[in-house]
Amino acid sequence: MGVASVRKLELYAHNTVVDDVLADLQKLGCCEVFVSGEERDVPDSPPVVADLDDKISEARYLLRLLEPYYEDEVSSMARSFGERPELSLKDMRSLSESFDVFSEAEGVRCLERKLVEIRSDMSKTDGYLSLLSGLGDLPYPLSLISTGTEQVFGALGSIPVENLGSWKEGLTKAFKGDVELYSAPFGVKDKETYVVMVGLRSVESEAVKISSGLGFSRMDLPEDLLLSVSEERQRLLTLKESLSAGISDVEASMKRLSNELVPDVRVLSDYWNILSDRLGSAEQGDRTDNVTVLGYWVPSSEEENIKKALSPWRGFTELCFSDPGEDDDPPSLLTNPEWSLPFETLTKLYGAPTYGGPDPTPLLAPFFFLFFGMCLGDGGYGLIMVAFFMFFLKKFKKMPSGAKSFFSLFVLSGVAATLVGALTGSWMGDMVDVVPFLRFLKPLKDLPVLLIPMNDPMAFLGISLVFGIFQIFFGMAIAMRECLKKGDYMGAFADQLGWMVFLSGLLLMGASAKVPSISWLAKTVTIVGVVALVSTQGRSKDGLLQKAISGVLSLYNVTSYLGDVLSYSRLLALGLATSAIAMIINMLASLSSSIPYVGWIIAIILFLGGHLFSVAVNVLGAFVHSLRLQYVEFFSKFYAGGGRLFEPLRYNTKYVTVSEDGRER
Amino acid sequence: MEHLGVMLTILGAALAAGFAGAGSAIGVGIAGESGAGVMTEDPGKFGLVLLLQALPGTQGIYGLLIAFFAMLKAGLIGGEPTMAITWLNGLGVLFACLPIAIAGYYSGIAQGKTSAACIQMIAKRPEETGKAVILPAMVETYAVLALLVSILLLNGIS
Repeated sequence: MGVASVRKLELYAHNTVVDDVLADLQKLGCCEVFVSGEERDVPDSPPVVADLDDKISEARYLLRLLEPYYEDEVSSMARSFGERPELSLKDMRSLSESFDVFSEAEGVRCLERKLVEIRSDMSKTDGYLSLLSGLGDLPYPLSLISTGTEQVFGALGSIPVENLGSWKEGLTKAFKGDVELYSAPFGVKDKETYVVMVGLRSVESEAVKISSGLGFSRMDLPEDLLLSVSEERQRLLTLKESLSAGISDVEASMKRLSNELVPDVRVLSDYWNILSDRLGSAEQGDRTDNVTVLGYWVPSSEEENIKKALSPWRGFTELCFSDPGEDDDPPSLLTNPEWSLPFETLTKLYGAPTYGGPDPTPLLAPFFFLFFGMCLGDGGYGLIMVAFFMFFLKKFKKMPSGAKSFFSLFVLSGVAATLVGALTGSWMGDMVDVVPFLRFLKPLKDLPVLLIPMNDPMAFLGISLVFGIFQIFFGMAIAMRECLKKGDYMGAFADQLGWMVFLSGLLLMGASAKVPSISWLAKTVTIVGVVALVSTQGRSKDGLLQKAISGVLSLYNVTSYLGDVLSYSRLLALGLATSAIAMIINMLASLSSSIPYVGWIIAIILFLGGHLFSVAVNVLGAFVHSLRLQYVEFFSKFYAGGGRLFEPLRYNTKYVTVSEDGRER
Repeated sequence: MEHLGVMLTILGAALAAGFAGAGSAIGVGIAGESGAGVMTEDPGKFGLVLLLQALPGTQGIYGLLIAFFAMLKAGLIGGEPTMAITWLNGLGVLFACLPIAIAGYYSGIAQGKTSAACIQMIAKRPEETGKAVILPAMVETYAVLALLVSILLLNGIS
């Protein structure tokens, strides 16, 4: 249990075998590359690494563009749950040799460019069409406006509807027959409309000037619009049709390409990433003309395996194991027994333990189990959870370990809720009592019931707080053990034990209100605790007076312990909330069942929908709050996280599983 | 006077469901705005964003719960009243509803803001979802405590 001890491995390998040795280490997957803190000149990447990086970025490009067209039989959720094709490195290698990712990417890039061009033509055409539809039946060919002739100009623009009359009047008055005016039809709500004036060049600037005074704003007509409005519209509609045919053509070939390429590119992307990880790790080492020196963190338990795995290269390598030194920052590898493995996720969520520190996983596991059970506190909901998450675990057998332990955590939590539900007689709230055809289960349901929180909330509150006190004392005891381990006797006895004695004294004082005969004991213990705390808590200060003042003031911290304990009352509140919400749903369902004819349908919908909603909301609440009790109330006593998780060099794949058999070459 | 008792109970239930619900609505709204912003960049975060947006929603449920309890007490829904319906008892129910009404309203809003900030956090660091879920839960503690007090107070009225 706890954080596994690791050792430093210095590996000297002859340059001819470095690649093979690294391949073997990556296959073992138990060595973390040692990154020294010192500044070092990063040598230029060797050509093979640069080439690999190019390939990876091309593969990423291909996947980004083609995946949307690819119809995957395996959903991405199933894939992340381990439904992946299994390939050996050898197969991947031969695929990589026969596959020219650069030319494939070039081909796809061509298609993409084509698609972009067609799309931009398309939007241009759409713009023209909407302009033309605003013009109505313009009697002139558009070339008159877009280019004009030597003698005649045409101007297109928009003008506010209310000025239309005065515009026509003004221009007719000023130029008589030298200009012709046209205004497009407009709707009742339109504020502006298109107008066109056509006239002699000689009056162009004058006409435009007068019009501008009336709110006319001139627009340029694109020069490729030449025919009459209806002819142009016809031409553009045909063009649009051929463009959309072009788009579906390109998309069809994208789809065909995606079916051809995506499975291979996924495999290759994984393969190249594996290689890149491997080569990247070699760059952390020092290289001379003949020898490369590589540093690794290795779990002590794997030492023999590594020696054995590298034995074929015995003549070319030298392994040198040593314990981590003072200045090193070794990674934390969590090793926990099977039963507490699912709870490791919770520790990792908070932050990994430091190397050599305690691993809180087995310590929090029983508490989280119990508290989740109490917060959800309903047998029916517990069983739903168990069934739901078991279904996933059964369906995806090859689930990666992270997801698997998370799902197992929820299965366990469901079991806890079922147990608590049985003890408190809550099965989907009061379903057994209110649903007529389930009444026969009542004696069975009542059998294990210890306490019904709804009827006796104070007793349940008491139980919650007692669990809280127990967990807080447990946390302080762990902190004390850690202090003793480090040889910090003052910390162990004065801080942790002192507080424990003082708090026990206060608890006894509380108890002595009921049992007067122990009041002498309570007083003695409290006084011992107070004396211990007052005399030691100011020990870092100078001067007797200051020591005494800080010692006395430290007693004020008792409020934080009080707050911590009261925080556990949420176990009651959330447990009650679950049963009460379930009860309300049952009640609404049974009330609606008395509606004639359709009542039973409404009742079933209310019952199923309501409980589904309730189970989702309450599971989220129970999870978050029982986790909070661990993180805030429990961890604050002894655990700070701040470590770094062990990240070995291994096959880090996204799309495939690397099969064990088959060496790379 | 019996009517006054029922009316006061109704007022209590209305305050509990109304204010706690309003707080949650504002909170969920604030978180949702932030979530929509994050999802314009990365629609794949929908699941995580929804989870964080749902967190300030619990106050509304707690308020509803207390409102139902109050109604049950006065026999307004399903069955016989579980307390003597006097105006004093009605006033008691009204007061008992206040903790969740007040704490639900304010904590819902505060939790919404925290959730919104945490949604921004997972936009940059999706691997820290665990921590992002815990911070809003810190705020909710006080709604849970208010719920507890409301339940215990209602339970005490007979």
